[in-house]
Amino acid sequence: MTDSAIEVVNLVKTYEKRGVSPVRAVKGISFDVRRGEIFGLLGPNGAGKTTTLKILTTLLTPTSGTARILGYDVVSHPVEVRRCICVVVQENAIELYLSVRNNFRTFGRFHGLNDKEIESRMGRIVELFGLSEHLRVKGVDLSGGLKRRVQVAKMFLVDKPVVFLDEATTGMDTFNKRATIAAIREEASRGRTVVLTTHVLEEAEDLCDSLAIINHGRMIASGSKDHVKAMGLRLLYVWLDFEMLGKSYLRGLRKYKPLKMDVKATSVELTLQDERDALKIVTEARRTGRLRNFEIMNATLEDIFVELIDKKQEEA
Amino acid sequence: MKPVLAIMYREYLIRMTSPMWLFFDLIVPLLYLLMFGVGLDRAIGLGLTMEGKSISYNEFFLAGVLSMSCFGSAINHSYGLFIDRDNGIFYEFLTYPMTRGQLLIGKILFGCITSIVQGSLTIAAAVWILNVNLQWQFLLFVLAGLVVGIAGWFFSLAVLAFRVRRNDTFNTILNVAYFVLMFVSSMFYPLDSVPPWLSTAAMFNPLSWHTDALRYFTVGIGDFSLIALEMIGFCIFLAISFWFAVRALQKAG
Repeated sequence: MTDSAIEVVNLVKTYEKRGVSPVRAVKGISFDVRRGEIFGLLGPNGAGKTTTLKILTTLLTPTSGTARILGYDVVSHPVEVRRCICVVVQENAIELYLSVRNNFRTFGRFHGLNDKEIESRMGRIVELFGLSEHLRVKGVDLSGGLKRRVQVAKMFLVDKPVVFLDEATTGMDTFNKRATIAAIREEASRGRTVVLTTHVLEEAEDLCDSLAIINHGRMIASGSKDHVKAMGLRLLYVWLDFEMLGKSYLRGLRKYKPLKMDVKATSVELTLQDERDALKIVTEARRTGRLRNFEIMNATLEDIFVELIDKKQEEA
Repeated sequence: MKPVLAIMYREYLIRMTSPMWLFFDLIVPLLYLLMFGVGLDRAIGLGLTMEGKSISYNEFFLAGVLSMSCFGSAINHSYGLFIDRDNGIFYEFLTYPMTRGQLLIGKILFGCITSIVQGSLTIAAAVWILNVNLQWQFLLFVLAGLVVGIAGWFFSLAVLAFRVRRNDTFNTILNVAYFVLMFVSSMFYPLDSVPPWLSTAAMFNPLSWHTDALRYFTVGIGDFSLIALEMIGFCIFLAISFWFAVRALQKAG
């Protein structure tokens, strides 16, 4: 038995439509996801994340290349793959004319559970996602966030070894997001492999053990979270807080050519490429006599993500 | 079998949330027979002599109503695919542990059951209210014909539902198809009394094949060798439609 839950090799997907030139959405990407890992597939809109996920979940067939889930090829053994997975698709997927309880019941039955098993598992899930008071409400009467919550909660009703979450927390409020993230963590700790796509990089940074960043259908970085972050090690995040912030001082900061500079009332946030620049900036800031507080740390995943994408675009 | 039963269970739950819908689904063919059939029978006084056998219009029209109910139910179920797609649940279905064929069969099996109930109610009304002289010995063939009919039409309309992305386009195509297929068929009138172009066109219409077979088994009208050919034709139509529907579903993700 291989250690990999998911193996993707040279995956290519080209959309062809009569009268329109073919679109290559995925251009030969490869990656591995280990069992029990939380894996994040990141990239800007149109990067090819959802297409990749659709291939892995047997919704689409690849133009070339291979993808295996727990050793089963997604093209030659789609039903075996579907037996191993559950998926939160990007679209809101809920039975609008059924109550929340019946949404769980139908979903459980589709995944081979009997009524007794469904009822016994439902209690924990309903509690975890705060759905107790909505059990008798029909899908059509739920708010957008609640619909999404039910959709995600369903996935945890069944014990599938691999879970795919395509933008799972979209439309959720902070409370639901926290509950979902906690549930994802708990499920992963029980040995389930979780693959998620998200725009919220903080979420990915918080949750994922490993990452792949794709853009324009190509892989631009992959590996463990630390490995990907190491690719941007030279990036530093500097935060300075002043009693008062002058325009001339801010103009002076621009000579260091920061990758990102955000000014908020009396504080400045900078993303820098050079460690020496960071030290010079802090020294100069202290000389002004108005510096109240400062912080220097490694840049966030978001900064690295933006830098990697920009770099690849420049190269292209 | 489990996935197929799961889909049937889901269809059952959805239908049960709207008893009114279920009620009308079951009695619309009956109303057609009682209102349209009786009206035409009395107003025009159409007594028909077919193959030396004299029958009332109600007797002639019974098979048409049964065939129409299969076609109508198939339209409703194929439209359900559109609703599922709008709800997004359709894409989630495609990731459930079952084959595309099982998904299609499960979707229509509940329809087959309602069709049998529908057909039984219609036949009972025809026999006990309209005094239709039914060939009871062929009742099972009639019920089997209803199942084959709804399945054939559902699979063919499913191909359309998977290919067409827009709801309004789907509705327009269905309305035109419904109109043309019904009137260019043996559903409402015997084809030996219509212009040759119409009878020729109707001979190639699967709705005529289905209606003729049901008519043969309900009231014994028709030449069995021709009916047998039509039944084989309809079964081929069903098999081809199923194959295309599975293919279309594989590309629907």
